[in-house]
Amino acid sequence: MLYVALRILLYDKLRSLITLIGIVFAVGLIFAQIGIYLGLMETSSVIIDHTEGDIWVTSKNSKNFDFSQPFPEYIHDQIRSTPGIATAEKLIVAWGLIRQEQGGTEQVEIIGFNPDSGIGGPWRMREGDIRAVKNGNFIIVDESANKRLGDIQVGDYRDILYRRLQIVGISQGVKSFTTAPFVFTSYKLAQSLVAYIGPDNTVFVVAKVAPGFTVEQVVASLKEKLAGVDVYSSRDFSRKTRLYWTIETGVGFSFLLTIVISFLVGMLIVGQTIYNSTMEHIKEFGTLKALGAENREIYKIIFSQALINALAGYLISLILTLASVKFYQAVGTVMVVNTGLNLGVLALTLVMCLSAAAVSIRKIKHIDPAILFRG
Amino acid sequence: MEHPVVTQGLGKTYQEGKTVVRAVVDVDLQLKAGEVVGLFGPSGSGKTTLLSMLGCILQPSGGSFRLFGHEISGLREKDLPPLRKRYISYIFQGFNLFPALTVYENIMLVLKIKGLTGKAAEDLARGMIEEVGLNERADFLPRDLSGGQKQRVAVARALAVESPLILADEPTANLDHINGKKVMEILRALAAERKKCVVVATHDNRIEEIFDRILTMEDGRIVDERQRSS
Repeated sequence: MLYVALRILLYDKLRSLITLIGIVFAVGLIFAQIGIYLGLMETSSVIIDHTEGDIWVTSKNSKNFDFSQPFPEYIHDQIRSTPGIATAEKLIVAWGLIRQEQGGTEQVEIIGFNPDSGIGGPWRMREGDIRAVKNGNFIIVDESANKRLGDIQVGDYRDILYRRLQIVGISQGVKSFTTAPFVFTSYKLAQSLVAYIGPDNTVFVVAKVAPGFTVEQVVASLKEKLAGVDVYSSRDFSRKTRLYWTIETGVGFSFLLTIVISFLVGMLIVGQTIYNSTMEHIKEFGTLKALGAENREIYKIIFSQALINALAGYLISLILTLASVKFYQAVGTVMVVNTGLNLGVLALTLVMCLSAAAVSIRKIKHIDPAILFRG
Repeated sequence: MEHPVVTQGLGKTYQEGKTVVRAVVDVDLQLKAGEVVGLFGPSGSGKTTLLSMLGCILQPSGGSFRLFGHEISGLREKDLPPLRKRYISYIFQGFNLFPALTVYENIMLVLKIKGLTGKAAEDLARGMIEEVGLNERADFLPRDLSGGQKQRVAVARALAVESPLILADEPTANLDHINGKKVMEILRALAAERKKCVVVATHDNRIEEIFDRILTMEDGRIVDERQRSS
């Protein structure tokens, strides 16, 4: 029956081509929307996900990574003395202004980390070394900041919060969700640079769990022990950050809406063309029924048409999507195309095309035999 | 031995709005194997309704209909396809060939539905194509065939599946006289050779000589029955 379906599709080439274009358009849009959404979400929690730590301690009611408030540093000592903690590092994330060479300012997100442990610092360097930020007014800027900050070179000077700092390294892959570039520096310098942090405060403590303990156990005991802060596993804090940007900003709804519309448009296109094709062949299908074909044998032809459309449309969309990833990168947008996404979109495409064929199935089920006898 | 088709008091009534239409009334019929029967009558006389009931695509509303020993009246809708698959073939006025499939593929599709596949089915399809004289056109699409050739494909399709009962609805209506006659002669010869029972609903008086028996319907009843004079 797959062969009959294929022959029917190839017979009406123009209609099949229009259907295919419709599916490619719809599926391509779904791919792009989900891929960009995943890219954005990956970006929003990029530092949490790349920081070697099992537990994040934040100020009370902190909603995400980017807008956490300072809390007293002595909590860091309390954490270190908790059974099950192997290491604990302080980390500052704060906002500042950078003065451009040509005048004007840009907002930057300052990350203050311990250069000796590297926890919370950049994980891939294009130029320089992360330990170079020690003992001086030094910063590392991510290469993605080029668009906002102009051509950045190691050795250049920039003013951040009225302090002249020298660029000692260029990191890679630390693109910011908020579009404000990440600037890495030593913990001590970040603490003194950002006035609202204060000399005895930190913004996060990132801890590693000692062997023999589970993350859940240690999170529970820290929650019991510490007052005025929240404690999360890295996975939970990453998810919390992603959910914040997805829900609070409406970005998730916007993507979801486009995905739903694309899905419906695709379903309408496939449904319409398969229905038209079924109606054009209704007498032939009726004849098969009259000759003893059971409904399911005819359903196979209809569903096979939908299946061929779905697989062909999906494959073309996948190829176009993979080809467009570089293009998205070039315009500064992160698009994630992974196995999960591929399988998910394949499932969506199959559901879209096969459910669109259901209208035609209904028609076949209720074929009036009398049509066979009308000329 | 019981005849392949036996009806007693067979009837079909429709409800059209508030009006009850009696499409077929009290039809008593016995059809023999190898017999070619012509069903004549004006439009609306009930020929097509009777043909639909004999083909198990329309359930009678009254009377008895035995098909190869099976009582059809009262069967559920889902019980009919296996009977159609086993016993019945059709030839339609509009040919009803899949336009996307070649002559050979159209016949193979029906063979597959009837449960015949593989080499045996391929040989059967090729053989029938040869018998209806379309050997050269086996790989043609229906759009590349004349009306007469299309109907010959429909005849080949109906005969290839080895169903003992063949029902034809106005098979010559879309053909000129020469082609119509040729198609009917092929049908008659092949049916006789294979001991098929053939019922042809038609208006076409020019093919009367083809039939072993002619039934004339009016207002849903069989009003006249003639045997062919040998």
